[in-house]
Amino acid sequence: MLEVEGIDVFYGEFQALFGLSLEVGEQETVITVGPNGAGKSTLLRAVSGLLPCRNGSVRFLGQPVHNLPAHKIVELGLAHVPEGGRVFPRLTVMENLRIGSYTKKARANVEKNLQEIYELFPRLAERRIQLADTLSGGERQMLAIARSLMSGPKLIMLDEPSSGLAPLVVSMLFDFVGRIKSQGYSILMVEQNVRKALELSDRAYLLESGKVRLQGTREEFSKESYIRQAYLGL
Amino acid sequence: MEILLLNALANGILLGGVLALLAFGLNLIFGVVKVIHMAYGQCVMLGMYLIYSLKSMYEVPLMAAFAVAVVAMALWGALLHLLVIKPLLGAERLNQLLALAGLIIVFENLAHVVWGADLRGVRVDLPVVSMGNIFLKTSNLLAFLGALVVLGILYFMLQRTYVGLAIRAIAQDTECARLMGINPGRIYLLTLTIGGALTGLIAVFFSPIYSVHPHFGGSFTLMAFIIVVLGGMGNLAGGFLGAFIIGVVTSVAAVFTSTEWAEILALVIFILVVLVRPQGLLGARGAR
Repeated sequence: MLEVEGIDVFYGEFQALFGLSLEVGEQETVITVGPNGAGKSTLLRAVSGLLPCRNGSVRFLGQPVHNLPAHKIVELGLAHVPEGGRVFPRLTVMENLRIGSYTKKARANVEKNLQEIYELFPRLAERRIQLADTLSGGERQMLAIARSLMSGPKLIMLDEPSSGLAPLVVSMLFDFVGRIKSQGYSILMVEQNVRKALELSDRAYLLESGKVRLQGTREEFSKESYIRQAYLGL
Repeated sequence: MEILLLNALANGILLGGVLALLAFGLNLIFGVVKVIHMAYGQCVMLGMYLIYSLKSMYEVPLMAAFAVAVVAMALWGALLHLLVIKPLLGAERLNQLLALAGLIIVFENLAHVVWGADLRGVRVDLPVVSMGNIFLKTSNLLAFLGALVVLGILYFMLQRTYVGLAIRAIAQDTECARLMGINPGRIYLLTLTIGGALTGLIAVFFSPIYSVHPHFGGSFTLMAFIIVVLGGMGNLAGGFLGAFIIGVVTSVAAVFTSTEWAEILALVIFILVVLVRPQGLLGARGAR
């Protein structure tokens, strides 16, 4: 579904990713872990078109997308939930969801999708006329994920959805991600909470200094002694 | 004296309506594209000259001249975006400011060359409306009502349509808006086109009230800028409030002193706001 092949990504003169390759299959949940500054967010930003790739290629559903602007990539069915949720603070919950279905294709189903989202996230239905500004951190993250679903995506990229949330809220959030996974969406998730993220995942990558250091299925990954020591604390 | 004050108050409110529209355009452009359109009042000036030329030199009916001016100024706004603002989007703030301030000189001298330095105006004879002791010029009243209608339409567009939603989203978080499938380039062009159409509309409202000269726009750019800062940059509701404050203060002050002193007072208010409450009356929060 998503094939990233040997991409080099730069911030000005500073190179953040070095020939990085990664794959996400149909209905697969893939997680990417690694220390701060490893290039995890950069990877997602490059895939969704917010950052240009200097070399290499990104293919989504067989189509090269590394030369497309971000707003075209969303239309193809690739949604990106940026770090911290980044909901629009001075739009209401409902307006945030509506703007999620801005693309032509999604606009046709907006009412139906809204109903589905409200059933999936009753909390958002209760707060639909509140400004997003007034939501708690967990609700904001939920709204950001729900908003990405409004575009009718096939693959959802989540950038550290649990960051800055209380432990109880984190469990709830992972429940949501699990529910989304079970509905057949493909997911590429960057996470600090390696233990919880691994439970949900099919495969995992470890990024360090802009390169893939390790990769494997969930079982392989959780048996790896380096991962056990550095990330799972075992 | 009381009657004089009451009249000044009423006229200040009428002026506030048109100023609100002017400030709205400047505010919208700043909120969405994040540039300060320094030559905004000068665009109004060009619009007024266009109306004058069409009416006086080519004998186009006034209403048709008005319609042409709105369309032409909308296109003018789009052209300015493509030729001046778009190439500078990634540039330093100071360079953007200098380029747009440079337009002031270009536009004013253009007006000098084409129309000369004399006052030019469209003569429209309208009766004076009186309510008790308050006398209002019909042209001011029409401008006020027209401005309110246009503001209402703009508000509806921002609140109720997908395009309006996209404009507000871009103003709040451009990068995230791109992830929603919004093409910022298109929204920027649209914003400058709307902003341009507004300068045309204000030219329509001003034409029966004022005669135009090449430096006509300067005080209105300044006035709009003061209002925008007073209400909070990018805050449309704040700009609306600020427009009426400035309109009333300058009208009332003009009664007691002179129009020059009134402008000085407006600037003093501006300086005080920047010193005491730089985020403006309503601040950045609460902006829609």
